[in-house]
Amino acid sequence: MFAQKGSLTRKCVWLFVLLYLLFGARAFAQQDSSVREDLFQMSLEELTEVNVVSASRQPQKLGELSVPVSVITSEDIHYSGLTNIPEILQFTPGVDMLKLSRFRYAVGVRGLHEFISDRTLVLINGRAAESPLFGGSEYYTLPVLLEDIDRIEIVRGPSGGAWGANAFNGVINIITKKPEGALGAFGSTTITEFGDTYTHIRYAEKQDKWRWRVSAGYEDLKNSDDAGAGRYVSNTTPGVEALMGFSTFTANDFMRNERFDGEAFYDYSDRTIVSFGAGHSRADVGDWEFGGYYPGGNGLYETTRSYAKLEHDFGGGSSGYLQWFGNFADSMVPTLMKWNWMQNDIEGQLNFKAADVHNVTIGGNFRFIRLDIEQQDAQQLTYVGEPFDEQFAGAFLIDRWTLSDRWALEGQIRGDWYSETQTDWATRLALLYAMDEKKDHTLRFAFAKAFRTPFTSPRNAWTSRVPVGGGLYAFNVRPADELENEETYSLEAGYTGKLAKNLTLRADTYYQRFEKLIGYTKTYVGPLPYHKADNIDGANSWGAELEAAIEGKPGKLSAWYAYNDFQEDMSQQGIRAYLPAKHKVGLTGRFFLPDGWTFNANYRYAGLTRKLNLDTTLVDADLSHRLDLCVAKGFAQGKGEVMVGVSDLFNKTNGPNFAIGQLSAHDTPGRTFFARLQLKF
Amino acid sequence: METSTIRSKLYIFIVVYLGVQAALIAPQAFAASVSSREYQVKAAFLYNFIQFTEWPAAKTADNNNTISIGVIGDDPFGAAFDPVKEKTVKNKKMVIKRFGRFTELIKGANEDKSKPAENTEALRKCHVLFVCDSEKENLSKIIEIVKDSGVLTVGQSENFLDAGGIIRFIKEAEKVAFEVNLIAAKEAGVQVSSQVLRLAKRVITDETADDKNK
Repeated sequence: MFAQKGSLTRKCVWLFVLLYLLFGARAFAQQDSSVREDLFQMSLEELTEVNVVSASRQPQKLGELSVPVSVITSEDIHYSGLTNIPEILQFTPGVDMLKLSRFRYAVGVRGLHEFISDRTLVLINGRAAESPLFGGSEYYTLPVLLEDIDRIEIVRGPSGGAWGANAFNGVINIITKKPEGALGAFGSTTITEFGDTYTHIRYAEKQDKWRWRVSAGYEDLKNSDDAGAGRYVSNTTPGVEALMGFSTFTANDFMRNERFDGEAFYDYSDRTIVSFGAGHSRADVGDWEFGGYYPGGNGLYETTRSYAKLEHDFGGGSSGYLQWFGNFADSMVPTLMKWNWMQNDIEGQLNFKAADVHNVTIGGNFRFIRLDIEQQDAQQLTYVGEPFDEQFAGAFLIDRWTLSDRWALEGQIRGDWYSETQTDWATRLALLYAMDEKKDHTLRFAFAKAFRTPFTSPRNAWTSRVPVGGGLYAFNVRPADELENEETYSLEAGYTGKLAKNLTLRADTYYQRFEKLIGYTKTYVGPLPYHKADNIDGANSWGAELEAAIEGKPGKLSAWYAYNDFQEDMSQQGIRAYLPAKHKVGLTGRFFLPDGWTFNANYRYAGLTRKLNLDTTLVDADLSHRLDLCVAKGFAQGKGEVMVGVSDLFNKTNGPNFAIGQLSAHDTPGRTFFARLQLKF
Repeated sequence: METSTIRSKLYIFIVVYLGVQAALIAPQAFAASVSSREYQVKAAFLYNFIQFTEWPAAKTADNNNTISIGVIGDDPFGAAFDPVKEKTVKNKKMVIKRFGRFTELIKGANEDKSKPAENTEALRKCHVLFVCDSEKENLSKIIEIVKDSGVLTVGQSENFLDAGGIIRFIKEAEKVAFEVNLIAAKEAGVQVSSQVLRLAKRVITDETADDKNK
């Protein structure tokens, strides 16, 4: 098996080298001046088009990307009427989302999602937003306020060549508004029929060489029980139910979250910008239905994110930045453990043009992580070997070569070293062909490899819970013996086209191979089960995504369909994830009507979602139809707006959906009516 | 072959690959005389503005069948205009004129507006004049010289439109956008198409100016 993998790896590397040399030589030979991406061929509308940065770490037009990207704009967010990021993400092609409690969600690009979504990399302004303990992101702990988001870029497919570990199935990059895009005072408050509130205030200003923004918010979500839901549903065997008495517990999933976020930019010169920022989130939450339901008091999550960045335009087509960012978390969950961690990361990137046909980006980072875990109760999780000091370092090279007027080749390669796991590499090689002179129609062919490195929790967690007498426990987890990185390879083809003025079409297909997926093995010592993380399975996935949108002054109409046929090699091996829904459909309609009225509708269908659970049982989440409607009326020359709406009109996404190790769960409120008032000065 | 041996070779490959690429490409990049992406985009905007602007008949008849873009101040465009250097726009050849700093331009010249110096007259002959950030201090003087001579003034400093400039570039996130002062355009005698106004983030008209003054 190793010999086969080694052979495949070698072939991929040699293929990469061959293509690089082949097309590289051709590019150097031509030396044409078709670089600058034919900006002079573009219309004014095209020049003002949305740029994206997540595909290759530099702004690019959507039609030029080496990987499929969908963009959720601030307008999409605003008129959805929604108040959290995962709910908004579900209306994007290829994104799987399940609600697990009132505030916890499983989100994954092309599936393989869990409540920490550790196979999709989440970034805020290109900076990591992952937990080094679990590897994924918990959106409710992020100090980001919805109306501060400029756009969310969703990259579908292995993207480790640009972003490193965990950009395994995709990347979600949340990009916040710059102060100059949000000048003045802003206030917004939303209230639901259950008494949930979401309030956000902001002030942004530009003075001489300074631009700055400060935001604060408060979110209050009631318990499911208090919101007309909280129905208990068990998926345990009768014996476990009798032992644990799950049915006697009520849903306790409230959240009160205070958030703060601030950012400042100083234009040191025409070419140099210094920026820094800090954000803080404090979430008081109810019990965590995790690893069995053990009511033990409310939890507390505190997260602080901060950064400082120096950007410089060297002229001559070169620019670069140096940045530090630090993420700090302090959390206490009585039913699980108390932990705190810090991530310090130094990162640099240089962009330059070479030989008139190369758009090159090189860079690297070094990250230092420290984790402390406290076990306050014998049944809480503990970690063998803590506290942990871990270091990561990575280097990358991205080169976009303009081969001719029509052809371009983008190569991304990145190597990452990890002190506690294995060193690995990732790549993406994409060939793009413009079918017409105006580049309104582009074909894309790509190969990619990415990896996911196991973080601290799957490597080192140790627990014994539910005493059955004689010092023995009914539920046991032990540290992994040795975990290797998960690997994935993809072959992709896609088309991006501008079919008519304001009408765009994107079609992407892919085959993706997964190797060494991590899950949990289960062995018995007598009658008692013991779980260990291990590389237990592989899988194949075939899929396609089709997205069409027409957007103009009257509004927006968009439709998408996503197909994903995911087949694990050995079914029911517990790869600790939801599998993607095979069929997903989305529709959006937004109409700007006379007299300041706006109507917005979002619809999403997701087919049956299968879950391979911890103890190798299959759990299904039902197919779902979701419809959100919303009407807004502006007043006072657009300075004010009133909005009313309903989310999940069909009341079909209220669960419960079972997450990792959950032995019991409660349903959550589905259909929710809400009202919102916003003011700007 | 052992997996560890393959990995070792791969790491060596990656390191060598990165090193060789950096060594080969970086010097060429720094030597290349091309401009930043931001100014390539802005150059393309200027090219587009020409296509959607109407100049007074006298101005159009003048200038040896050329359309000229003037750049005054420390030129940030570099080679951004190279792709259209020899091309025609509106059936006229496009010419880029770089004037350097205003203080140098007027050195020794008569500052009496009734007898404009030869150098400042060259500014008035431009169809489009881009005023660089280095000219913030002299902005009002430059605008005063060209304001009634059919020049589409474009700049990006904070008070550019208040000083009487016609189009101001702004940056929103990673995008280039622009604002238009229609009052100044009218005074200059240039007509900016509705296709430009439709995409402007802000348009100053008599009405909006009145609102502001109320």
